Amino acid sequence: MPKNILSVENLNGGYEVFVGRRRVFVHAVDDVTFSLHNNEVLGVAGESGCGKSTLAKMIYGAIIPPLLVKGGSISITTKGGEVLNINKLSIDEVRRKIWWIEISYIPQNSMNVLNPLKRIKDQFIDVFRYHGIKMDKTETVEHLRDTLTTLGLPPEVINAYPHQLSGGMRQRVVIALSLVFNPRIILADEPTTAVDVVTQRTILSLLKEWRENNKSSLVLISHDMSVHAYMDDRIAIMYAGNVVELGSSLDIFKEPLHPYTRALIESLIRKGDKSIRKGLAGQPPDLINPPPGCRFHPRCPYVMNICRSEEPVTTFLDNDRYVRCWLYTSSR
Amino acid sequence: MENENMLKIESVTKLYGYGILGLKKFKALDSVSMNVNLERPKIAVLAGETGSGKTTLLRIIMGIVKPEIGRVLYRGYDIHKLKGSTARWYRKEVQPIFQDPYEAFNPLRRVDSYFYDTVTNICGIKDKDEIMYRIDESLRFVGLSLDRVSGKYPHEFSGGELQRISIARALLTTPRILLADEPVSMLDATLRVGILNILKDLKEKLNMIIIYVTHDLSTAYYVGDDISVMYRGTLVEHGPISKVYQEPRHPYTSALLNSVLEPDPSLRDKYPAVKPSSLELKEFLIAGCRYANRCPYAKEICWTTLPPYIDVDGVNVRCWKHLDYKL
Repeated sequence: MPKNILSVENLNGGYEVFVGRRRVFVHAVDDVTFSLHNNEVLGVAGESGCGKSTLAKMIYGAIIPPLLVKGGSISITTKGGEVLNINKLSIDEVRRKIWWIEISYIPQNSMNVLNPLKRIKDQFIDVFRYHGIKMDKTETVEHLRDTLTTLGLPPEVINAYPHQLSGGMRQRVVIALSLVFNPRIILADEPTTAVDVVTQRTILSLLKEWRENNKSSLVLISHDMSVHAYMDDRIAIMYAGNVVELGSSLDIFKEPLHPYTRALIESLIRKGDKSIRKGLAGQPPDLINPPPGCRFHPRCPYVMNICRSEEPVTTFLDNDRYVRCWLYTSSR
Repeated sequence: MENENMLKIESVTKLYGYGILGLKKFKALDSVSMNVNLERPKIAVLAGETGSGKTTLLRIIMGIVKPEIGRVLYRGYDIHKLKGSTARWYRKEVQPIFQDPYEAFNPLRRVDSYFYDTVTNICGIKDKDEIMYRIDESLRFVGLSLDRVSGKYPHEFSGGELQRISIARALLTTPRILLADEPVSMLDATLRVGILNILKDLKEKLNMIIIYVTHDLSTAYYVGDDISVMYRGTLVEHGPISKVYQEPRHPYTSALLNSVLEPDPSLRDKYPAVKPSSLELKEFLIAGCRYANRCPYAKEICWTTLPPYIDVDGVNVRCWKHLDYKL
């Protein structure tokens, strides 16, 4: 049985926003349960607006209003063997103890997160200083050179300003920045959406190689199923705030169970394939007012009466595979 | 006249400045030529990485960027010299759709107002019933209707719906050519197919010509009839899409095809290694083949002289390899 380093139980949460004077709650993450094993890649897939990024923010502990956690727990086993409950810690504690050291976050659009007025090396020095690591300048520069060359960047990058680098290079710098303290968990939120195919391959291979060498775990959030196929050991499919299916990537791609996963896999276009594909009809639901019962039922081709009124329960097929759909509860 | 039903792009070169004052110039597009027969409906794919000049070329065709050398002829007219009513006519004939549908619409303006503006200003229709009829007709073609759209703001639609709306808006003028700049790269997989199927419908039912710009070679093959591959401002390969995919003639095309990730986990270990792209500007300044820096077959002549177009079995390629490295 693989060891878990992060487990998320019945996590519930979302955003509290005002529409006019009315206070509404956007239920972006609803009853999510999963665990992250040691040394694995867990993918989180789903359409935009299904709560993938919100889930990442919650795991990272960046719970700043309007984001609220309503229930559930996120526990992490630290490098020292301590078990911490991220959602019980204050934001300052999370900053000191968790960020960069235990969990690193590669944000969406990561090419635009660098400070435009600072040279690349100064951005790194800031991070070292924040975590109270004292290094003299030459030592830091030496260390930086090593880190950057492992990511395939020329050494002159450390003296450059962000605008002098191309998008792909900036992205690699941000990745290097997030890996400096050898975190055990990396949360990558759409690390490659804004770049083209060749850069995408480069960045993904670098991440993959780094992870395999350091035996860290990666939570990869993306809507691009080919990225998941390339990287993941296991995939969690999210739809409208629920994890509707979770399983090993081979199983998910070969034998998708949930009707949404099936539609998703069928809609994928493969290279050198001209056969007509059908997309999924209908629109993703409004999370302020989600449909009753199963949130997928208005678009589901296999909809039954029970789906319209009651939320489906989670059915475990084996230890590491579950699906949340009424189709699979009756037969077992 | 043979120019009558052609869109001709004649060795177009566009210079952009770089350096502190932008006084030094590099060629963002280097003598790109292309011919599109307006009588034959097709989807022409323009593929390449970021910074390959594909969007610049599209903007030149749209008429909003003027090339330094070369010209674009549409039915015999130089589109960069059009004035008055002929300029308006060209606006009707060629319509664009853009990458990010959320940025294409003003968030404070109702979506349907764009439709009324287009119909009255560009098409010049004044009769109220006919305006409504035209708008509803084009929205129905993309699977929406005027009732669903009227009075709403962009944030009330999903990305897929907004992209449909921008296609419908482009259709109002009954254009001959639709310029689609990465229309699906911001959309989710399940919605992506819907938009691509609309593009196919446009070609088959309305006999339109679509220039589809993308870096995603799997969607390109799904919709495309022929493909032009661009690299750092030069057109490196052009031909029927099935031929190019089966046997890429240019080393860059095969590198690009190899880096496409497939949605199949069992293929994971079979991808060949890629060489990351280095500094862009340096490659733009190479006098010869721009790909020489990354090309495994590069020889001396590749660095100094740009290869001419060679016809290899129905596919146009620009590579010295097929000429045995000599003229």
